[in-house]
Amino acid sequence: MIETLEIVNQGGAPIARRAHIGVVASGNCELLIEPTSEPFATVRIRTSVRGYEDAWRAVVARFFERHPIAARIEIDDFGATPAVVALRLEQAIEDAT
Amino acid sequence: MSRGEVWFDALRAGALPLANLPPSVRAADGTIGVHPARLVAVVPDAQNRFARARSGELGIDEGLAIARAVDEAPGAVLAIVDVPGQAFGLREEMIGIHRALAAALDAYARKRRAGHTVLALVVGRAISGAFLAHGLQASWIGALNDPGIEVHVMSEPSVARVTRMTREEITRIAQIVPATARDIERFASLGAIDELFAIADPNDPSAQELARVRAALAAALDDPAVAARTPRSRLDAPAAVVTRALSREVRARLRASWDG
Amino acid sequence: MITRTSFAELDARERVRLLLDPGTFRELIDPFERVRSPYLAEQNVVAQSDDGVVVGRGTIGGTSAVIVATDGRYLGGSIGEIGGAKIAGALECAADACARGVLTRAAIVFDTGGIRLQEANLGILAIAEICDAIVALRAYTPVVAVIAGRIGVYGGMGIAASLCSAAIMTEGARWGLNGPDVVEEEAGLAELDARDRPLVWRATGGRRRHAQGQAETLVLDDVDAIRIALHALAAREPHAHRIAPELSIDPGLDLPAFDRALRERYG
Repeated sequence: MIETLEIVNQGGAPIARRAHIGVVASGNCELLIEPTSEPFATVRIRTSVRGYEDAWRAVVARFFERHPIAARIEIDDFGATPAVVALRLEQAIEDAT
Repeated sequence: MSRGEVWFDALRAGALPLANLPPSVRAADGTIGVHPARLVAVVPDAQNRFARARSGELGIDEGLAIARAVDEAPGAVLAIVDVPGQAFGLREEMIGIHRALAAALDAYARKRRAGHTVLALVVGRAISGAFLAHGLQASWIGALNDPGIEVHVMSEPSVARVTRMTREEITRIAQIVPATARDIERFASLGAIDELFAIADPNDPSAQELARVRAALAAALDDPAVAARTPRSRLDAPAAVVTRALSREVRARLRASWDG
Repeated sequence: MITRTSFAELDARERVRLLLDPGTFRELIDPFERVRSPYLAEQNVVAQSDDGVVVGRGTIGGTSAVIVATDGRYLGGSIGEIGGAKIAGALECAADACARGVLTRAAIVFDTGGIRLQEANLGILAIAEICDAIVALRAYTPVVAVIAGRIGVYGGMGIAASLCSAAIMTEGARWGLNGPDVVEEEAGLAELDARDRPLVWRATGGRRRHAQGQAETLVLDDVDAIRIALHALAAREPHAHRIAPELSIDPGLDLPAFDRALRERYG
């Protein structure tokens, strides 16, 4: 079964525009990022690989340390490594700001 | 005799089969109600020159022969569907079996679009590309309500190979996602079957059972609303309004945003 | 210096964007509409937000156009309910526009193994609708098949591609009905060893399909080359169609000769 994770990060600057990156293919993930009217960031992760919540929290936390933004992020994952997820997040923020 | 052949013979009621076709494709100009209609069936041929098409599969010759029989039909067409699949072979792929099946499908679609009603009656297996090319372009599809009917897109071993699921998982999923099931009732739940017929012995239908099927076919030929249908019309079937709600929603969204 | 941009390496969205006139691409039902397949989660597959199909509106040579593309990287470019409805619905809209007098050019970028097994019969019903929509639309305007991706086109979509008015292929693309894995599973290793990649490409690749007359145009794996070929074919007059004129049953293929040639060439 698919695992769904929700991570919320307090505070941050709004992003300029939405962006779409990646693909749901083995070892990869798709990422949607959109502006939000809320003063915080939400990350919703759907993954077919269960049991890696700590790793997801770590990679997302590192991203928000570098980019304290307010945004709505969705990740559809098919077994991407933390390095690939980090890369997709960086690509998304580049397109969205 | 295969089921396709049983029903072809029963429904042609003595009309002479056309002579200019390979033995695996049978066609005859019969009468349904007051309407002339060309019946078309695919049957096993142990001598088929394509070894992979000897059990009633749709192969190169069958696709092209159906296309010719349908193209040359004077009016309505009834496809009698009992097809275990398309022919799987290297030779077929090299020659281009996709083209031969497309020729059959194209002939049915053009016949229907030219204003002739195309009916299909599923009496046996209706599988994958073979059903796509021979049956699914019909304006109206009837089927026997029988455990011997199978409607699916790929054999279980091949599904297991491609999806890396076990047979047990495939069976479990069929309970949850009816579109992956193989029985006619769950296929009918998608809104694609216009009428189901209970037949005690599908290999030997009684006169009364045949009369019931003939009456339904005749009613479909009488109905101008049937003649106006396309495959897309299946989305308006009461069952499809529920089970294919997403197919309908996608079209609504496309129409709404088409011109920006 | 001449530079080439590989079409095969692009994703479906970029393929559509670059085949339309520059700056005209507008996506319908984009990923942010989140029309996702509800059937996949139970089967431990994560749904992609565009269901693996891109529908792009824009112009071709200044004329209104629609290009649809399957995303071969997602579940083999397979056709499920939503992606199938996007393709069929887009072609239906194009035919409706043509019927209203608004000429609308059309192309389908195929990169797909066929029906999505996780949605099985919903996929086959959608492909029946796609096929009928191609037949309807090509009476108004050519529907051009572009077969230039890593997967090529197989299954019911291999049939759909055959219904198109013309096909553009690259050497690296393949076109057939039954994919090599399925032929091996159904007919046995002696029929075909799916791992024999050179044989698979010789049997179903773009070079062969072009030599057979099935693909109108064989082009380099280059975005500009494919766009130029597409714009030329899409702007032709619609023509009365005969499917598979290269095949004929009467007098018929000389099968013994075909088999001899097969043995000579491939052992």
